Amino acid sequence: MTDSVHRFYEEYEVFSRKKGDLPLEHRFSLLAPNMEMAMILAKENFFRREPVADLWIVKRSDIRKMTQSEREAFGRLEKPYRETRGYGDLNERWRAFKARAGESGDAGP
Amino acid sequence: MTPEYRTVLIELLYQLADDNFILAYRGSEWLGLTPHIEEDVAFSSINQNAMGHAAIYYQMLEDLGEGKSDDLAHLRAPAAFRNAVLLELKNGPGNYWDAPDYDWAFAVVRHFFFDVFKSIRLNALKKSGYPPLAAAAGKIVTEQAYHLMHWETWFVQLMMSTDEARRRMEKALSLCWADAGGLLSLGKWGAVMAEHGLTATEAEWRDQWRQAIGQSFARVGYVPIGEPGMAHGDGRNGEHTADLGEALSILSEVYRSDPQATGW
Repeated sequence: MTDSVHRFYEEYEVFSRKKGDLPLEHRFSLLAPNMEMAMILAKENFFRREPVADLWIVKRSDIRKMTQSEREAFGRLEKPYRETRGYGDLNERWRAFKARAGESGDAGP
Repeated sequence: MTPEYRTVLIELLYQLADDNFILAYRGSEWLGLTPHIEEDVAFSSINQNAMGHAAIYYQMLEDLGEGKSDDLAHLRAPAAFRNAVLLELKNGPGNYWDAPDYDWAFAVVRHFFFDVFKSIRLNALKKSGYPPLAAAAGKIVTEQAYHLMHWETWFVQLMMSTDEARRRMEKALSLCWADAGGLLSLGKWGAVMAEHGLTATEAEWRDQWRQAIGQSFARVGYVPIGEPGMAHGDGRNGEHTADLGEALSILSEVYRSDPQATGW
């Protein structure tokens, strides 16, 4: 495609829900000259053979995407105490605590 | 079923089958040639749907003893076809395999005119006194809302686009308007079809079509000149252009040359 054709068509991202109570999923991208056209083309390009309860069209250039430096800046150290898996040994600790409390004559809570 | 009832029922079914069949064929000639690939996919899908609708009507004709549905589509003489002439006209100069110079504005206006009419006709046929037809119309109409939305979007956008688009659309509009009357015609048996409760009257769907098209024209500030005509004759009475004969000989070439090849 020439540059002028590229400027005329824009990329749109298509999101859909299979049923009204299911989360929105990103499905496909397509080229269209505007949003209304993107909507009618999305329907017949991607939902000829499957039901669709909801359809969202977003112009790709309207999406604030992550940059590479942000990808790096959003790194983090592992902190198990912030996740469920950091508490897998809770029963064991509780038993040990109760045992210690029993030795000192305090039954605990 | 009286002989008269059967005659007009069969005439009506040929109108329905042939309209969808020939326009789906004209649409399929656009494959690979539309403005961009997303439209190519959407348009092809619409054509497949319309071909499916034709197949439903041809099957009803087979059930009435008219012969095999594939034969009805491929082997009849042009004069036996009952489609509106507007739907058989070539897409433009050239052929799909050789220097096609098709007119997208003509495709948009023709399909838009037809799909506005098809919606009106299907809604009327849901109340047809011939139960298999009423049932078929109820089934087909579920796919029709999208077809109409698709062509209406194209119609409005191109009419409200650049000066060049407007000029080309207005040219296509006068071409289609000159033969739009043939869409609305029920042919010489029309009054009898309505008397038997098979369809609404021609006047009823003409009024509904004029009203619906008038609303779309108002949205884009277009005023047609005169009433929809039948410049190339009334296809419902077997009057057709050379374009139909040419299309039929191309689309039936394999079917005629080797019945084994299409035996599946």
